[in-house]
Amino acid sequence: MKGAMAVIRLAYHWGAFGFLIGAAVFLTIPSVPSWAQEEVTSKIYRYRERVATGYYEGYEVSPRRARAILETPGIRRDRFSIGASAAAVRIRTHLPDSHRGLKFYYRTTCIECHPGQARNLHSMRAGITCRQCHGPEPIAAINHYYSAMNTIRRHAYVCSKCHEGATASFSGFYVHEPPSTALSTRESFPLLFYTSWGMLVLLLGTLAFFVPHSFMVGFRELLDKTKAPESSVGKLANSVSHRIMGGIRKLFEKKKVPENEVDDAA
Amino acid sequence: MQQIRRFTPIQRGFHLILMLTFVIQSATGLARMYVGTGWGKQLTDLFGGYPNTLTIHKWVGLLMLFAFIIHLIYILATINWRGLPGSIYGPDSLIPRLEDIGQSIRHVGWILGLNGPPRFDRWAYWEKFDYWAVFWGICLLGGTGLILYNPVISSRFIPGWALNVLLWIHRIEATLAMAHVFLIHFFIGHLRRENFPMDLVMFEGGIDLEKARHERPDWVERMENEGALQNVLVAKSTLSLRVIYHVFGFAIVIGCLYLLVNAFLNAHRLMG
Ligand code: HEC
Ligand code: HEC
Ligand code: HEC
Repeated sequence: MKGAMAVIRLAYHWGAFGFLIGAAVFLTIPSVPSWAQEEVTSKIYRYRERVATGYYEGYEVSPRRARAILETPGIRRDRFSIGASAAAVRIRTHLPDSHRGLKFYYRTTCIECHPGQARNLHSMRAGITCRQCHGPEPIAAINHYYSAMNTIRRHAYVCSKCHEGATASFSGFYVHEPPSTALSTRESFPLLFYTSWGMLVLLLGTLAFFVPHSFMVGFRELLDKTKAPESSVGKLANSVSHRIMGGIRKLFEKKKVPENEVDDAA
Repeated sequence: MQQIRRFTPIQRGFHLILMLTFVIQSATGLARMYVGTGWGKQLTDLFGGYPNTLTIHKWVGLLMLFAFIIHLIYILATINWRGLPGSIYGPDSLIPRLEDIGQSIRHVGWILGLNGPPRFDRWAYWEKFDYWAVFWGICLLGGTGLILYNPVISSRFIPGWALNVLLWIHRIEATLAMAHVFLIHFFIGHLRRENFPMDLVMFEGGIDLEKARHERPDWVERMENEGALQNVLVAKSTLSLRVIYHVFGFAIVIGCLYLLVNAFLNAHRLMG
């Protein structure tokens, strides 16, 4: 009874202590605007100079302050890099129909032309099709101003179809994330690159030390002569160990002989 | 034969809970990771389909975190606060000590046949590493897992792209944990000469006196000198209990090796 009370009292004291520290820390954090609260409140002026329906406006947010991926709209580093002048013709990310004028488009599936994009968690795990996110024809390019995929409204028009309550911050998740350990990711998404490599080094380092360590310990213990041979297996192990350890000892003894000779000569 | 008590029932209970939740998390996590492959599909079927697998993974993860919190409270309650800092730095504690460095060097020397065996006390250095590896692993996996539990809510506080990063941390740390348990921990618990078919110490709680004297001479001597040895001697568990321990232990090992081998064989399919 006394012991239980002591434990409860201890837990209570630590809880109160932690609560006070937490409260103190919490109060010192300046009130940063939350990632989610960036809805644009204006009803009219954003589209005044453009021809627009104003239909989107209620859901829009100002563009993200920080995107993790370095986006260079002019130059794309795929298999062939595209120079600035060619980019004006070939980069389609601002078009209302990203496939306008492409030959054989209607006879081909999405993944034949975009194999890299097919490897995303949504398609691979949950079996979600490209069109459930990218919509019907014409497929608007990502950065076209009125595209549903544009970051200013992606959360409302794409993600929240399935993720109820998705915010602009949530839509900053990279559905087609770059391969996390590829060298090209170091430039496009450095944080992902360095954390994955950091974790991989931890993984490989731990295994590289402890796998050989365990096996060598196991092997050496098999040859342990000081252990009484309790069974036939033990006896066998002891006789083998006698041979092997004797051999190893000889190896080291032999090495020592020339050293002594050198010393004597000097 | 007489045994020295090495783990209290509470500690064994923690290990049992950790063991069961770890296996479930491994199976559901791998099922999730490999669901694009035929084997992963089979695994998810085992749990009643992909959505159920996700749910189980999340709930058992919470259970694991809950057990971890209980473990922390248990640690705080068992520490001898009056005797700090000496009381947590002694040979009975899992905190790494300076002696561990010397012992590990001597141990390597012994493996290579250069010198005699080190005289271990209660915990050898790799056992301490084992404990802290799990500790750190639960913090990291539990932390990232908790954030990924509901990405819609958590992305209100962190940018959405952080989820990409956290998902990778979660994945790689889980791979590390599984590789460590399925390769190293199982090897130590089952395949070392002294432990061969299975080391029962985590189930029955005691270790044979002679075995302890051979493996950890300093521990036994210390207790003899303090006159404390009589207090920690316990009887060996009954045969029927030992049979149950063996069956249970091997069921877990076989299940985990099944996961390990198939995860390995299907790894190339994850890429394509
Ligand atoms: C005939 C091959 C082809 C097919 C089939 C195809 N695409 Fe494309 N797609 C392209 C090319 C080429 C581009 C322009 C690439 C660029 O900008 O780098 C493009 C661009 C895009 C873009 C805009 C990229 C950006 O940067 O904004 C999206 C989105 C897209 N495709 C989605 C799809 C989807 C979804 C499907 C299936 C319904 C599909 N594509 C089928 C060839 C194809
Ligand atoms: C869960 C919704 C979702 C699904 C499913 C999806 N996409 Fe996307 N896609 C996006 C988003 C969001 C972007 C913007 C860039 C990003 O987040 O990676 C994008 C960008 C793209 C781009 C522009 C290049 C790039 O990588 O940024 C192409 C091309 C594309 N998607 C093709 C496809 C194809 C082909 C499929 C089907 C295999 C597909 N998408 C499935 C959401 C989706
Ligand atoms: C057609 C439905 C659908 C749409 C649209 C969709 N998602 Fe998902 N999303 C899912 C499903 C189903 C899952 C669960 C799959 C899983 O966790 O493996 C999921 C899971 C996720 C996860 C958690 C991943 C994990 O493994 O923990 C994130 C993050 C996410 N989606 C982001 C997005 C973003 C960002 C968009 C908008 C660009 C989006 N989703 C659009 C259906 C959808």
